[in-house]
Amino acid sequence: MNGNAQDPSAAVEVLDNSARPAGCRSVPVLAEGELGHYPEFAAFFAATFDLDRAPLEAPGLLRVGGERYYELVFVGRSGRPFPAGVEVGALVAGVEPLDAAQADRDLWAILTWLVAGVGGDWTVEALHETGRIYRIPAARPPT
Amino acid sequence: MTRTIAQLPAAVTDAYPYRSRFTEVNGRRLHYIDEGPPDAPPVLLLHGNPTWGFLWRDVIPPLLAAGHRVVVPDQIGFGLSEKPSAHGEHTLDNHIANLVAFLDGLDLVDLTFVIHDWGGPTGLGALLARPGRAAAVAVMSTWAWRQPSAEFHHRVLPWRTMHAPLIGPYLLGRHGALVGRGVYLSVIDRARFAERAQPVYEEVLADPDDRRLTYLWPRCIPLGLASDITTERFDELEAGVRALDLPATVIWGREDDVFTADVFARRWLDIWPHAEGPHLVTGRHFLQEDSGPEIGRLLVDFLGRRGPRASGKMSS
Repeated sequence: MNGNAQDPSAAVEVLDNSARPAGCRSVPVLAEGELGHYPEFAAFFAATFDLDRAPLEAPGLLRVGGERYYELVFVGRSGRPFPAGVEVGALVAGVEPLDAAQADRDLWAILTWLVAGVGGDWTVEALHETGRIYRIPAARPPT
Repeated sequence: MTRTIAQLPAAVTDAYPYRSRFTEVNGRRLHYIDEGPPDAPPVLLLHGNPTWGFLWRDVIPPLLAAGHRVVVPDQIGFGLSEKPSAHGEHTLDNHIANLVAFLDGLDLVDLTFVIHDWGGPTGLGALLARPGRAAAVAVMSTWAWRQPSAEFHHRVLPWRTMHAPLIGPYLLGRHGALVGRGVYLSVIDRARFAERAQPVYEEVLADPDDRRLTYLWPRCIPLGLASDITTERFDELEAGVRALDLPATVIWGREDDVFTADVFARRWLDIWPHAEGPHLVTGRHFLQEDSGPEIGRLLVDFLGRRGPRASGKMSS
């Protein structure tokens, strides 16, 4: 997975939490407190991770590029539909440093996977073009 | 961490050579400058997203030269003011209340509100809460109603995508897309901006966690969607500004492609038929970056023409 704008979402897999690697710590890399701003994003997470049935079980688990793991911790808030927010954590072995540049490319892949899954008005093409307009490194075409 | 203007790079202190002051509003530390004769009628310059008082640096000298008192706060979440991260902190009502506390704290009266971008809904909200403090108002590239909304703000590419769930925290938070590239794309002289101003805006919002408001403010723009969260407040704002009968002027960027002059400047003149303008100057949304001295002179002329104090006048 090179994290470029060609098709990074193809490298994102949804796994059962039993596949969570042992001996890892979670490093917060991205947080969203207002999933309800566009409720279709919350609905996508609810459907993908079966949150209506089991809202407070283990975090969601993603694997990116076949070898890097990310957990999704869903957050509730009184008076709001669940999930109200989500926190993305990179699962890093022991106390080894986070590869921040790789994590940034992986986040772009996760966002691409997210937008493709939400669908409707939201398109991968619009996301990638927005990334190029604002010169996001992970959105640069491969050279 | 508390920083002052004097602690910032020369690019700031040379262009914005004023003394930092701090006050507390609703338990938060607010940075501001207060220049000119203390007994002169004050002029309040209110910035929006994602700028700070530095936006007004070229507007201020003509006002000071004309003998005005100039007060420029950094809204909570921007500039050298505190940037709280608590959920629920950054609501429109809370930011209006911060300005109300600021006006009360400094006991500003006979006040001219000069408002830009989110300085509009917040500043006008504060004005309507404290009409007795207001003497005049100048609007530029801002709004105070639900409809019409900007066509730009309805576009999925790039605007709604930019601040969508998780994408906003990534693009605008993690990568600072609005504070750097976003402002750059919304000025005319981009080379000059990139050299003189962009590093300053990026400097004061250097950390991703400090950029929270840059993607939360866009989510507060009413678009007629089920998820709109400011509908009632904007209805109240529009009703309130329609009832205002203060001297007013409309100053707009000729090339503004977000709040286009033909729709938004025109709308202000429909609401306030007595208002001056529109005075069109060279500029996109951040018109102060391209026409700061001219805007300053327009404000001086406006303030010189306005009549005796008419604080808080509301039509019945």
